Amino acid sequence: MAGQSPGGTIYFAVLGIITTAFGLADLLVTASGSEFAYAGILVIPGDIFRGGWGGIIVLFAGLFYLSGIRNFDDIHQFAKVAMGSILIWVVAGCDIFAIILESIPSWNEETGPWFNTLPDFIAAYAPPYAPAVLLLPFSLVVIYYIRKRASEDGGAGIYHERNG
Amino acid sequence: MKLSTGDRWDLIDKISKETVTFGAYKHTLKDAIGELTVKPMTGIPVAIAIMYGFWSVFGSFAGFFTDGFFVRLFDAYWLPWLQEIFPGQGGWLYAIMVDAGGIESGEFVLSSNCLESFGVLTSGLFVAVGVVLPAIIIFYLMLALLEDIGYMPRLAVLLDTVLHRVGLHGYAIVPTVLSLGCNVPGVAATRILETKKQRFIMMTLLAIFIPCGAQIGIMQDLMPNLMGWILLYLIIGYFIFGYILNKIVPGKAPEFLIDVPPYRRPLLSNIGKKVGGRVRGFFVVAIPFVLLGCAIVGVLYQLGVIQFLGDALAPVFVGWFGVPKETAGPLIAAFLRKDLAVAQLDAISDLMTPYQMITAVVLVSIYFPCVATFAMMLKEGWKELLGALAVLTVVVFAYGGLIHLIGILLGVA
Repeated sequence: MAGQSPGGTIYFAVLGIITTAFGLADLLVTASGSEFAYAGILVIPGDIFRGGWGGIIVLFAGLFYLSGIRNFDDIHQFAKVAMGSILIWVVAGCDIFAIILESIPSWNEETGPWFNTLPDFIAAYAPPYAPAVLLLPFSLVVIYYIRKRASEDGGAGIYHERNG
Repeated sequence: MKLSTGDRWDLIDKISKETVTFGAYKHTLKDAIGELTVKPMTGIPVAIAIMYGFWSVFGSFAGFFTDGFFVRLFDAYWLPWLQEIFPGQGGWLYAIMVDAGGIESGEFVLSSNCLESFGVLTSGLFVAVGVVLPAIIIFYLMLALLEDIGYMPRLAVLLDTVLHRVGLHGYAIVPTVLSLGCNVPGVAATRILETKKQRFIMMTLLAIFIPCGAQIGIMQDLMPNLMGWILLYLIIGYFIFGYILNKIVPGKAPEFLIDVPPYRRPLLSNIGKKVGGRVRGFFVVAIPFVLLGCAIVGVLYQLGVIQFLGDALAPVFVGWFGVPKETAGPLIAAFLRKDLAVAQLDAISDLMTPYQMITAVVLVSIYFPCVATFAMMLKEGWKELLGALAVLTVVVFAYGGLIHLIGILLGVA
């Protein structure tokens, strides 16, 4: 029930609205065909794969959050919230994986060093970041609620009640 | 002593009361998430996300090894070294094994990269090791993870309704996904389908519409911007022709019953065994075909056979499919190696519009299956093979012409 975890309900409602907005922004920017950058911290890719396909997933993540906040303490509703976070982890994880792999080689085709220099390697991790990467730390809050729920339930799926 | 039915039930009740512990089952988060991934409303977004993750990791990993290291290793070191030490520059053996090169102002000119040299030891090895191997390893690793986590049965349930439209059922997703790695295990996996009709439809669709890892790897490397459109055309074709085949092929397409297991943490040892076995299988089955196919294409080029066929079939390619006549050679070579055919098409990309390139690559995909798949289909039965080839011939002309027509209507052909 919402009353038991009002903090969680409010938090994921706000996160759901922001995530949905980011997902829509992803799709609109992709539809426009150009990249969008803001304040040196946010960049929305305009390509059909990361912006379009990734944007749809971020949008779904937002919708999962919003549909899961009602009766937040019910396990099936909470699972939607958890699923919203998992979708963000998939998109952000893929973005971070791509950044890591792109930061290692020098990408020289003919001569020069095989691996990136240290300053360029570090620079690869600097902002701006895609929306899913920015949402990632906020989505991790769901782990706190998963652990809280597990400790309250004893983590078990079956309750034995001897009859007779 | 003989017990009546009622006495038997009483006895059963008595025994069960003493031996069975009754309890109420309370759903865990894992159960609830498991249910969400099977229900269409929530399961389809999750499937879209899983596929996104699959292809994103695939592209990043394959690009890291191929573009980050192997392109340079082969183009800047391996190719020049072989060009220098291999005897008989300009001769036929040199052309087949190292570099077919080109003629500029009457002079033999060496190729500048492994994708243009078309030698067994250069293009063949580069495609097999530099492009396909990283793609295959990450593909099978991701697939093994999805299998061991327990996601594949859920995907099968989710897609069951859609796949029934093409005469298959949810488990057809297994050979389909396997074929994205290599068509050979994909064709072998059609045995999990129950009826001859289902196996025939599946085998035909795999041979025509599912590009293998080698082809996907090279498309990802050479034409990443067009890959989405190419795959879209193939997916649409898969369902259109699957639907038609379901209507015309006699036989039954039964329902399937599946036990969906709970999600589990994958074991590293299992993943290692699966990936190791599949990559080893790919090495044994596919890599010899890559090298042999490369050699045969080289011989046919040297003998002028491909040039002759290309010239003879050029009116069909230009008039019906709407692609330049220069694509005839690569399209004929595609019978032996689809990956090399894509590389050949990329080499003449200046002669084509992006739409013509999409058409040409889709044609390469829906063209005759590669020799290894051909052999595997023959193993499943010559009648099935002949039937599949008959369907394939019709599909190539019908779908190739349709894509051209769409291009004309859109004004991009």
